[in-house]
Amino acid sequence: MLSKSQARAFFLGGTFLFSAIFVFLTIDSIRQNDARTNAQNLTEDVLKGKEIWEKNNCMGCHTLLGEGAYYAPDLTKVVERRGVSWIDVFLDDPQAMFPGERKMVKYNFTKEEKGQVIAFLDWVGKIDANGWPPKPNIPVDSIAIAVSPQTSTNIVKVSQPEKFSQLCVACHAVGGKGGNVGPTLDHVGSKFDADYLNRWLIDPQVIKPGTNMPKLPLSDTERKDIVTYLSALK
Amino acid sequence: MRFQSQKVAYWFFATCMLLLSLQIVYGFIMGFARIGMDGLHDYIPFNTARATHTNLLVVWLLTGFMGAAYYIIPEESDRELYSVKLAYIQLISWVVVGVIAIVGFHFNWWEGRKFLEIPRPLDYLVVVNVLTFLFNIAMTIWEAKKRSTTQLVLFFGLLCAALLYLPGMIYFDNQTLDSYFRWWVVHLWVEGVWELIMGGILAFLLIKLTGVDREVIEKWLYVVVGLTFLSGILGTGHHYYWIGTPKYWLMVGGIFSALEPLAFLGMAIWALNMYRKKGKDHPNKIALYWTLGSAIMSFIGAGFLGFAHTWPAVNQWTHGTLVTAMHGHLAFWGAYAMLVLAVISYAMPNMTGRKLFTGMSGYLAFWASNVGMLGMTGALAVAGITQVYLERKLGMDFLVVQKEIVFHFIGMLLAATLFTVGITYFIVDFIRHGLPSNEALGKNVGDLD
Repeated sequence: MLSKSQARAFFLGGTFLFSAIFVFLTIDSIRQNDARTNAQNLTEDVLKGKEIWEKNNCMGCHTLLGEGAYYAPDLTKVVERRGVSWIDVFLDDPQAMFPGERKMVKYNFTKEEKGQVIAFLDWVGKIDANGWPPKPNIPVDSIAIAVSPQTSTNIVKVSQPEKFSQLCVACHAVGGKGGNVGPTLDHVGSKFDADYLNRWLIDPQVIKPGTNMPKLPLSDTERKDIVTYLSALK
Repeated sequence: MRFQSQKVAYWFFATCMLLLSLQIVYGFIMGFARIGMDGLHDYIPFNTARATHTNLLVVWLLTGFMGAAYYIIPEESDRELYSVKLAYIQLISWVVVGVIAIVGFHFNWWEGRKFLEIPRPLDYLVVVNVLTFLFNIAMTIWEAKKRSTTQLVLFFGLLCAALLYLPGMIYFDNQTLDSYFRWWVVHLWVEGVWELIMGGILAFLLIKLTGVDREVIEKWLYVVVGLTFLSGILGTGHHYYWIGTPKYWLMVGGIFSALEPLAFLGMAIWALNMYRKKGKDHPNKIALYWTLGSAIMSFIGAGFLGFAHTWPAVNQWTHGTLVTAMHGHLAFWGAYAMLVLAVISYAMPNMTGRKLFTGMSGYLAFWASNVGMLGMTGALAVAGITQVYLERKLGMDFLVVQKEIVFHFIGMLLAATLFTVGITYFIVDFIRHGLPSNEALGKNVGDLD
């Protein structure tokens, strides 16, 4: 049977050996770190963005590289997923973009600060994280789902304007693709005329007080393009 | 209580009770926010509640460890504490730093690194404080005539916990390195040196409560903490799978995490075996419940539930979901919270001379809080697994999935209520014991050693 001194030797020996291996692997990890994390892209903006991220304890709700509080979405690939302009609009007033949903603090970032946060998240998204997060691997069509008539795609001759695919699709779906916070827009062109859609986009609150639709920062041309596109969705 | 200076432990335990109550309050704020009732959003947003909830946990457990050390070390060293005055100064400054940190969180003053949110200037104060504590303990041991393994393992654990706080204070520009060294603190604490502290405290309690020969208990203490370090040090790798570190961590982390339950299994077998070998019954059954309960629950929560999602092929889906929160709750409860409650249950009758363990409320406290915690863990488990399937495997939107699991959070809140009932019983008993008194000096209720 094991004696007390043998037990002690097991404890001390094991601790020493595995600590040594751990330190060795740490040195090697640090050696590879610059390449794996694209350290050459750590610009001034990225570093400022990290400071803003930490100063406001964003990880107290969000997760990043899977670490955080699980209360708000993981932001590892958010720039790839949502695009820069959407995040830029979102940060101005998060609750307006997800009305009635889980709340996020409105931080009143300046244009510059928003750019820095986005730069930081963009850099994080490009870290070699051994393939994480993995792509969903259960195909949706392997599961029985009710086919909604509204998602039937209609032939649209006008192509989707850039701003539409950056902002609108976060909440609205067209042809089954997009968010489900707002109604699907598949047949919006047959419901409303161009003039109404135009006035609606200028300020939704004027047309329908209390609506969940936020007032989006669109230039005249961008708005015109979107109205043309929406009118074609018959 | 053998020595007058052990009384200082009472004030650490009382602080524990206060901080634990606050932690529960913040837990409820988060639970309600998750079912859409976040009326406090403008005053206490979720990130504030979250930072407060987890930091209070860390602080109350550390306070409990300090109290346990102040109680155990004099008895193991067979002499008074080196300086009672220093212990009080240390407690007061510890509480002051804690209060400033918690209040600061409500004014956006923090470091924004999960579990290590305390701002840098306060970190330095924590270091000074912990060094004061260690100095006091070290001098007590140094000037003692008696050396015991329990005493040394406990001290070594506390010392390493203090040293490992330092890597968390280095600033890194690079998120990957930042995260890498943050785990040196967080993982190597809870799955490393805290287990050493746990082993030391458990050994002390087993010696007192079962009366089994010290040599036997301490031999197994070495084996258990040996297993802890054997698996736990390289087990840190399970935090390094997806943060930008080399691929070999998948293998290293996977294998050694799979071994981690062994340490906890060892702990449970050890405690139960010592109980089986006991000479006669110790009258303080409640303390025994918490002691054995801690050994068993730590195996389920920290060992088994940890094992359930640290294998890389599983972890790639569960990483960053409520599955982690599920494991976290039962792990901390079983391994550390129950252990601190065990020390308090054992020490209170000795310090005050009041044998409240004969009543019913101690059992109610034990069962209500344990069933409540298992309920919370179950609710989080169902929510977490649902989240993994809908969000990760099927690719549904985060917020849509969160709405699907609201129901489980109602279940969690109900279980949390039962848990709170249990803790309330515990705290009421704590208060009923009254203050430590000199009349209790020299007699330990029913000790078998």
